[in-house]
Amino acid sequence: MADLALDVKGLSKSYGNKVVLDNLSFTAATNDFSVICGKPGNGKSVLVRTIMGLETVDAGSIIVRGKDVAKVSAGERNIGYVPQSFALYPHYSVQENIEYPLTLSKATAATKKEAVERVAELLRIKDLLGKKPEQLSGGQKQRVAIARGLAKTTDVYVLDDPLVGLDFKLRERLIDDLRKTQEELKVSFVYLTSDALEALSLARTVMILAQGKIVQQDSLDVVYDLPNSIASMNSLGFPEANILPGELSGTIFTSVLGSTKVKMDSNATNVVAGIRPEGFFIGSGAGSIDAKVGLLENLGSEFAVYFNIKNSDLVTVISRTDNESLAKLKSKNVSISYKPDAVVIFDAQSGKRVGQGVSHV
Amino acid sequence: MAETTFKAKRKPGPIRFATLGAWGISLLFFLPVAWIISTAFKPKESIVVSPPVFFFKPTFNNITEALSFDNTLDYFIHSIVYSFGSVTIAILVSYLAAYSFSRYKPAGTDFLMFLLLSTRFVPAAAFVVPYFQLFNLLKLKDSYIGLIAFYTMFSIPFSVWILKGFLDGISQRYDETGLVYGASRWHIMFKVILPQVKPGLVASFVFNILFVWNEFLFNFQLGGAKTFGVPVGLFTGSTKGGAIDWAYVASIGTLYVLPLVVVIYAFQKYLLVGLTFGTVRGEV
Repeated sequence: MADLALDVKGLSKSYGNKVVLDNLSFTAATNDFSVICGKPGNGKSVLVRTIMGLETVDAGSIIVRGKDVAKVSAGERNIGYVPQSFALYPHYSVQENIEYPLTLSKATAATKKEAVERVAELLRIKDLLGKKPEQLSGGQKQRVAIARGLAKTTDVYVLDDPLVGLDFKLRERLIDDLRKTQEELKVSFVYLTSDALEALSLARTVMILAQGKIVQQDSLDVVYDLPNSIASMNSLGFPEANILPGELSGTIFTSVLGSTKVKMDSNATNVVAGIRPEGFFIGSGAGSIDAKVGLLENLGSEFAVYFNIKNSDLVTVISRTDNESLAKLKSKNVSISYKPDAVVIFDAQSGKRVGQGVSHV
Repeated sequence: MAETTFKAKRKPGPIRFATLGAWGISLLFFLPVAWIISTAFKPKESIVVSPPVFFFKPTFNNITEALSFDNTLDYFIHSIVYSFGSVTIAILVSYLAAYSFSRYKPAGTDFLMFLLLSTRFVPAAAFVVPYFQLFNLLKLKDSYIGLIAFYTMFSIPFSVWILKGFLDGISQRYDETGLVYGASRWHIMFKVILPQVKPGLVASFVFNILFVWNEFLFNFQLGGAKTFGVPVGLFTGSTKGGAIDWAYVASIGTLYVLPLVVVIYAFQKYLLVGLTFGTVRGEV
């Protein structure tokens, strides 16, 4: 399996009775930008720490370049690392911080100079090299931390939510930088994030981390369009998908949206439905329902529209240029309809996907 | 030079009654020190007179005379050796202990920390006799090793407390980042973390130097001719001629505070931070 940069198998970790990583497995292909997306509290930090060797594992293997490193010390794993907190050493200059990993491996001055120039160029921080971390802004610190993570040449890098807490514009720019960087270096990036938007803009391959497990690993399109579980549907996308309780009788699913004919892949009967915001549209037609419009949230190119049907709060998005819908929203009572195939049916107990909508009834 | 600095100049505020009061009280408390220092430079005949003399021609006679006594220089050397020696060792040991407590958090850390400090609960007088006997038994009396060991032991508890407070304020992410990049634990302790707790090191150094430098009882009991420090010298020397030799007391007293003034002045920048015990720090 030489084409795998990282192959994690059956990773388990508990603190006392609390299971944090639960027989977790995933693979990251070489030269790929793999994104692990998980909401806070699902074991993301612990997963990073076990991969990096800062935390021991109870069971499982972490195979890097074909070798199990689960019991190898952190320093010997040779994995590039950009920590979530910048952790720039305040008593070193930016330059010294960046070359620190090389200093530790006793690289020559020429190697260090070359490496610093390379990453400083890449992240556009050449003019900061002489400064001390305390003189930098948040975004600059983040760039320096990323540069430090990339300074030592290796082929696998783990980036732990490095853009968290940065402002939106800066994040977009750094996301772009990171993609380019990965392509230029032709190395493997394993990127962990708790931000669904970030995952959407970065990923080619995405893994959904929920309750200490990777619940789905596939290309971004597949995970977004065919989420295999509630957790998977909830983790990707913004605003979050709507989850609706309802009754299933035969192939008819009934909820506040009315009745929908569904195609079931299993004989589960206790089910819920998930529908992404873009599954709704404003206007009457087959299966349309009366809704009360609540808050409109400006997301820039689109609006998140919160509405209420029979005491269920739901959300949809409409484009900023969709003047027709915007005009209709002026009135607080509108008809809202949905695309039946946007309705995904999940088993209420296991959260697994068990069916999909076919048509209005 | 004024143009090159961007530091905003602080405007002097209005002189209020409260400010004047505060200054007045401060100066009142400083009077004994001022008296000691001025006495050191007074001509002998105007030291103990009534009314006191405030204006006089300063002279170095008292100081040169005090220094010319046989033991004076020895006292200073002894004091410097055991004070700085013991406190330096104590800081080093305490740093290692505080690092372990802060990072590895062994079971019962809180209790162990309490236990450590509890060694300082008992009044010194209760220890004098047992230590005297112990030092005699171990033949440590009047030896640098004995005194330094004793003062080191006395300096460790506070230093560990102060340093642990500082280390707890330094994010463990620094340690971990170092580990991932291949640094050894020693490297992290001394090259990554130590520079960040300088104010803590200085604070514990100064606190303990103040204590050891001024300690009298144990130096008097456990020391001897080869290790008596300045406090003992001052005590025995001040009544040498039968009456109290104020010129000697003032001269030695003045010289005695000098090293501390120098140490504190040199480290003032760190000490100000140090006195907040480093607990106010953000996440990195």
